[in-house]
Amino acid sequence: MAASAYTLRQIADLPGHEDRAWNVAWNPTRPLLASCSADKTVRLYHYTAEGIFENVSSVSTGHAKTVRSVAWAPSGKTFATGSFDSNIAVWEQEAPFEDGDGGMDVDEGQEPRGEWECASLLEGHETECKCVAYSSTGTFLASCSRDKTVWIWEVKPDAEFECTSVLMTHSQDVKCVAWHPTEEILASGSYDEKIYLYVEDPMDDWYEFTTLTGHEGTVWSLAFSPCGNYLASSSDDLTIRLWQRVDKSRWELNTTLKGHDRSIYSVSWTKGADGSLGWLASAGGDGKINVWELRRNTDERKTSLEAALIASVGDAHGVCDVNSVSWCPREGFGNLLASVGDDAILRVWKIERLS
Amino acid sequence: MPEIYNANPTIFATSKTSKLALAASKSLWPDDSNDTLDNENDEEEPIDADEIFEHIRSINDPEHPLTLEQLAVVSAKQIYMNGNNVLVEFTPTVPHCGQSSLIGLSIRVRLMRTLPQRFKVDIRVKPGSHTDGPSLNKQLNDKERVAAALENPALLGVVEECLK
Repeated sequence: MAASAYTLRQIADLPGHEDRAWNVAWNPTRPLLASCSADKTVRLYHYTAEGIFENVSSVSTGHAKTVRSVAWAPSGKTFATGSFDSNIAVWEQEAPFEDGDGGMDVDEGQEPRGEWECASLLEGHETECKCVAYSSTGTFLASCSRDKTVWIWEVKPDAEFECTSVLMTHSQDVKCVAWHPTEEILASGSYDEKIYLYVEDPMDDWYEFTTLTGHEGTVWSLAFSPCGNYLASSSDDLTIRLWQRVDKSRWELNTTLKGHDRSIYSVSWTKGADGSLGWLASAGGDGKINVWELRRNTDERKTSLEAALIASVGDAHGVCDVNSVSWCPREGFGNLLASVGDDAILRVWKIERLS
Repeated sequence: MPEIYNANPTIFATSKTSKLALAASKSLWPDDSNDTLDNENDEEEPIDADEIFEHIRSINDPEHPLTLEQLAVVSAKQIYMNGNNVLVEFTPTVPHCGQSSLIGLSIRVRLMRTLPQRFKVDIRVKPGSHTDGPSLNKQLNDKERVAAALENPALLGVVEECLK
């Protein structure tokens, strides 16, 4: 283990869910943080520059079962929820005043407090939806399910969605989907231990252009690097694998990270320190949150990445599993990491350099 | 029952003393409101394999009016402890037993309800005892699949029958 140069300091402890919290997502444009739970709600927190978090909404989703996944659109105006009831819901905020028009155009610090309403319900999956994710431009929403399929929905005006593709590549539950940060490339990870990458054939349908094999257990989570040249995957096999784009459509295993004793349920990648390839946070059933700093190897003969464990917190949610970690994508808040666990609690951590 | 996987199982003698009543008086039951504080205290009461066995021995077999102990599907010897990590191994009565995932799920649910949260439980079929061992193990230890299964009222009903 590398010497820690940083520390993760807990800055917020936010109870409120009544059952296991599964997923957490930062709004990309506004000071809002969302978490979802087996209690079928999404809780929204507003936060200030000083790091004060306040619960502003608890959305009763109407989903009949666990809300497994929550994802914000890049605009920050809508979020999607994926549920074990097999449906996906898309949520928009009402104007704060009854006669208000354009209630979304408010200044920073003057958050609209309108109710969040279900604008669309996307039905199609046959069994539990496990994950939802918006593409970087907001053009597409991807979803995946225990029914072994990945769906790609095109986002149309007025909260309309059109299913453009149903990908039946995996042989088992699809656990996670993630979009490339700048291109329309989708990745999916599964119980079948495989990862597929898909692009759209302009003349035809979406198709898998490559398969990443090597994991010896369920692939729980995927995260592209901010530069888009790497993909991190975490698994039941207790490893995190970093895959490198070596050509336009060729991805190869670069490095394998070990640092967890039980299933690794979540990875999140952010920009991190200057000159690095960013910080990768990971968490899982061992209750630990790890932060790795990734750099290109300075030794020109080696192509593998240098990964230094720069911070680690044990028992981040007491004795409970950590189900999701997520870095804040907003400018100026990149040092904030949110986590949720089986203890139904949402925590926010700040990564700080040790003096 | 559409198909009986083992129509004629061997029945084994069970151990006479039950520590269950004794265990129940301790702070093992999450429903017991007085014990909530105890669980949050740093003092951890030691729990051994015998005690874990007490919780699962009485689970009913899905296809016979017998317990898992009577069928020697579970035994204290097949429970391995390492700190807060618990590995429960079980032996299906026949290698093609189609009820094994239900038995495993019942063991998991019983332990979820009885053990303090600090225990991380893994459940496996005894190596070589089932034709579909690895895939069963994977399913039983996937917390997301377990959580979803327990939100399925029909499946939960069958589990509750085993736990009666």
